[in-house]
Amino acid sequence: MAAIAKALNILAVLAITGVLLFAFYWQLARGELPCPLCLVQRLGLIGAGLGFVLNVRFGSSESHYGVVIVSALIGGAAATRQILLHIVPDTGSYGSALYGWHFYTWALVAFVAIAALAGLLLFIEAQFVEGTHDLRPTMAAQAVGWLFVAVALASAVSTLLECGFGACPDDPTAYELLRK
Amino acid sequence: MMALPFVVLVLAALVAMLGFRKTSVIVWAVAMAATLYVLWIHTTVPLKIVL
Repeated sequence: MAAIAKALNILAVLAITGVLLFAFYWQLARGELPCPLCLVQRLGLIGAGLGFVLNVRFGSSESHYGVVIVSALIGGAAATRQILLHIVPDTGSYGSALYGWHFYTWALVAFVAIAALAGLLLFIEAQFVEGTHDLRPTMAAQAVGWLFVAVALASAVSTLLECGFGACPDDPTAYELLRK
Repeated sequence: MMALPFVVLVLAALVAMLGFRKTSVIVWAVAMAATLYVLWIHTTVPLKIVL
């Protein structure tokens, strides 16, 4: 069961990395800059991913799942706030839709799924028993972890270019640090 | 300001991969506090719904 938990942790890191990469693709290919609330949702995703990375790197711990759940709650709060901003008909929306839902709606679904996954994984008690499994990170775990760090770093650079050193505009149209 | 929690969070991930577990969790907590602050300062527009 501990091996299943480890595999699911690695898959969770890969899934979150994939979501962040897809958001990047949308930002760069479609030219849709993320709004401040969208960026908070990315922060929630990276925070949740970090919790899974900690499990992959050091072995499973209840506190690592705490990192996942708290991050998902914060990201989910930002997504809920954004949904409520646009829930009344004729109050507009932000960004384009994917399969009928906007990205902040998908983000809320993702955060609920992440928190639920962390909650379910907490039931696998075998992963917390010391000495029953190898805690050394495998090459695959190291690779997944470093890939996650690279994508998180790219998100940080992108946000710095978009917002500069101050607060981000509510409806960003250009990268602040690239303006002439 | 918006980039600050990103930078701190990247630091937390980097520290984790370098083998410092507790430091990473502490840095993550700082990043989440900064995230909550950013969320707070960007929730200025009142909602148009009445619950």
